[in-house]
Amino acid sequence: MHSSTKKWLFTKISSLILLPLMVWFIVNFISIYDENYSEVALFFTQQPSKVIFSTFVIIAFFFSSLTISEIFEDYIRDEKIKNVANKVLHIFAIIIPLLTIIGIYNLS
Amino acid sequence: MPNEKTLVLVYKLIMQYKNNPLSPHLQVYKWQISSLLSIAHRIVGVINIIAIISICIWTLLLLLGTETYQPINFFLNTFFGKFLAVSLCWTFSFHILNELRHLIWDIGYGFDLKVSKITGVLVLIGSFIFTILFYLTGKNIF
Repeated sequence: MHSSTKKWLFTKISSLILLPLMVWFIVNFISIYDENYSEVALFFTQQPSKVIFSTFVIIAFFFSSLTISEIFEDYIRDEKIKNVANKVLHIFAIIIPLLTIIGIYNLS
Repeated sequence: MPNEKTLVLVYKLIMQYKNNPLSPHLQVYKWQISSLLSIAHRIVGVINIIAIISICIWTLLLLLGTETYQPINFFLNTFFGKFLAVSLCWTFSFHILNELRHLIWDIGYGFDLKVSKITGVLVLIGSFIFTILFYLTGKNIF
């Protein structure tokens, strides 16, 4: 399979998974964003919200790294700058979800 | 061996290519529902990922404890904080509906110009309806 086909498939599969997760997250975010510390911490520490939020963050960053690289493809002409931008994007797409998941699993 | 005229022509073509605007040629096309939604989809996607990064930072700040969280809680309870939450409802709603439209295109439906325009308008109107629905559901008003 061509790498572009693979990329397209990954984008579509991740967007399909992301849609229900986005609905779940935005409804729950609205229910907790203005609550006090204990309520917000409780949401992120209890199951199943801990696992669903972790999945949401992983899929969201995976999807965004694929789609933002398409934006780079459209707007950045210089190949070297484009490669650096893509590498930085991929590193961030790994580090931010990883830190967030470690953070919520250490939250008590 | 190409002659001088050919070389000049090739050079001019290369220079012309270099000066061409990159995709999606925002300044060339006239505004219509399809281009508006396409551009908005990208902008909203970038806004959403910035919002998700902010939410990740928000969850990490919880690790610092109750007292550190006080100013954040105060900010989220201000008018601007609530405005940001409602705005996030809209950006999520718009992205969900337009992504659904893209997925329907991917399975081969909705390409007809008239259908495409109708679904475009539905996405735009639906995004505002979904914003209200998400907010009211989140606040347990239903």
